Amino acid sequence: MVKKYTSMAYASADDMLFGNAKFPVKAGLGLEIGAGYTTPEINYAPRPQAGKSKEKLIKEYERITTDSMARMVQIGAPSVVLETEHVEQMTNNPEWGGAVAHAQKTIMEEYHDEYGIKCALRHTPGDIREDRDYLKLTGDKFDLLMESFEQVAQNGADLLSVESMGGKEVFDYSILRNDTAGILFGIGVLGSMDMETVWTGVADIAKKNGVVAAGDTDCAQANTAMFIAGGLLDKNLAHTIAIVARAISAGRSLCAYEAGATGPGKDCGYENTILKSISGVPIAQEGKTSTCAHSDVMGNLVMQCCDLWSNESVEYHGEFGGTSVQCWGESLAYDCSLMNVALKTGKAKDLRDMFTLSDKYRDPQGYVLAYDNAYRVGEAIAKDGNDNYLRAKNAAVECCNIINEGVASGKLKLTRFEINALTKVKDDLDALTDDSDKFMSDCLTRFKEEVAVFRPENYGL
Amino acid sequence: MLDLKLEDIDGILVRYNVALEKEMTPDEAAEELYPKDELVYPIAKAIYEGEEDDVIDGLKAAIDAGKDPITLINESLMVGMGVVSQLYDEGIIFLPNVMMSADAMLDGIEFCKTQTTEVPEPKGKVVCHVAEGDVHDIGKNIVAALLRASGYEVIDLGRDCPVDEVIEAVEKEKPMLVTGTALMTTTMYAFKEINDKLLEKGIQLPFACGGGAVNQDFVAQYDLGVYGEEASDAVKIANFIVENGEGIEKLREEFHKH
Repeated sequence: MVKKYTSMAYASADDMLFGNAKFPVKAGLGLEIGAGYTTPEINYAPRPQAGKSKEKLIKEYERITTDSMARMVQIGAPSVVLETEHVEQMTNNPEWGGAVAHAQKTIMEEYHDEYGIKCALRHTPGDIREDRDYLKLTGDKFDLLMESFEQVAQNGADLLSVESMGGKEVFDYSILRNDTAGILFGIGVLGSMDMETVWTGVADIAKKNGVVAAGDTDCAQANTAMFIAGGLLDKNLAHTIAIVARAISAGRSLCAYEAGATGPGKDCGYENTILKSISGVPIAQEGKTSTCAHSDVMGNLVMQCCDLWSNESVEYHGEFGGTSVQCWGESLAYDCSLMNVALKTGKAKDLRDMFTLSDKYRDPQGYVLAYDNAYRVGEAIAKDGNDNYLRAKNAAVECCNIINEGVASGKLKLTRFEINALTKVKDDLDALTDDSDKFMSDCLTRFKEEVAVFRPENYGL
Repeated sequence: MLDLKLEDIDGILVRYNVALEKEMTPDEAAEELYPKDELVYPIAKAIYEGEEDDVIDGLKAAIDAGKDPITLINESLMVGMGVVSQLYDEGIIFLPNVMMSADAMLDGIEFCKTQTTEVPEPKGKVVCHVAEGDVHDIGKNIVAALLRASGYEVIDLGRDCPVDEVIEAVEKEKPMLVTGTALMTTTMYAFKEINDKLLEKGIQLPFACGGGAVNQDFVAQYDLGVYGEEASDAVKIANFIVENGEGIEKLREEFHKH
């Protein structure tokens, strides 16, 4: 049974800060996340050939873990989280994931025992619930995903996450056609329904094994929109549409916490500041330190309220300064050191605002995700928190309003193209019904016809 | 919270897209490019606008007036799509416009096929797939749509495609180009296996690869690899092969930018 959020965790946006969550989370070996300090979260991917066998993968992750922990100790970092995002072999063969978690945790325990470094291991199984042609969200594939969680939880993972993909088939079709109703249906309705199922399962497994059900991210959809939108000069998607998709995604990603997750939210959930404002859970974020994986247009801004600071993912290989996990981990640790100094010296709110302002006017995406505006999107979601559709629609409408106010102030500059795209989205939203059942019925009829790979039975429809 | 003064923002960041936006609107730019023939004009315009029904109406009118359905594919649908491609290349319109136009054009081609027993001649055949173990296919879908919209026949092998299935398709279909996309580092290793198996069988053809974690350094490691940074590069690579032949070195000179 999920309990929906209908109020805000914080009385005002100004109460939100990095390194501090209303509901901190204890995890792993002496770590407490969101309890007054920030912690680096190092992310990595094995080299391509490492996926050839279970033994090669375990060896690769042992190297990654040892290198990461060694560098953290060498530079005096007081805490670290390692995140292992599964390659598909590790989730499809749950015992592989379990073996990797065990190998990593063994090394982390040795470092913790010897140096006292606070640390935790996050494992993120891949959402393998699909076959060649269709999403296959229920049945055998769902059971396999849950077995993967079970194995990693039993073998050393402290934090459980996933980047679930419910609704992606409709979203992928819709985002390439500027179809506002489809984006809302894919993320806000289908995605939310699937999240409730997945996270009820993950929360049960976490509870049973005494570990933390951490959180999800709308990577499959909102990040797809962000990546297609690209930089300022890219011409693949209006950035105003990408941020509307992001605002919608906050209602969807919130479902994890409503189903029993407690944070920290996943690093690539750029919607996390909105989620923190509603739920008070700690969050991981990534930005300037994830340029090894992708570019965004808000590299500092996303640090504003983070509790874990991540590099998203880097292929494990050698660099001039060590291995890639050592180089990027070190950068993360120094960023965290700066934030932690600000927290100790009473300058944290000033630093937070500087992070925010360095990107707030760079792009409509950063503008809406700036913590003051993110809080407003949070309020729009909580207002109709009991209704997945209405709260997603509210978030989209509020997002449009915020951008229009920014443009009116003269500080947020948009191209005519971006403004026209925003106007179209707003007109589309205004034309949509407030009746959730009617919206569901209309969309089911339409997308069953238009999207060949859409299978309503995935959602029990 | 702290805030910046309006006059201080430009010293911190520059929205180059705003500064450099062209004066002409997309519709105005398109209007200058449409063919003038009064039967062809509405078809090309409907393609640009992505209006399937208007495309069919325009085709019906042109056929009723005596135009040949196959000729209409090349002289109205492809011309309309050419306008869309040109505006996209020039940064005047965005990808969703192209996708909607491509949908409309494909509907138009299917309609033309129903009006004749002749078979339209594609510019070439391309086999597209997503690497084995990888289910992220939005990039491949964009590649396939853009190739079809540019007049190529696409054999779409879908996602999570086994290496041997790609090899079989190449042997059977004899394409001018194979494309492979992958999001993850661990799955893109399949590209090298495809390359090796093709070479074992004595098959030489360009193998255009791109997507999430794929980079030029990786693709350049195998003999047939040509790196495509953007989905739209697939069309440019195909066009380059049509115009210059399939030499891998020439393709790399043109498309390996880093």
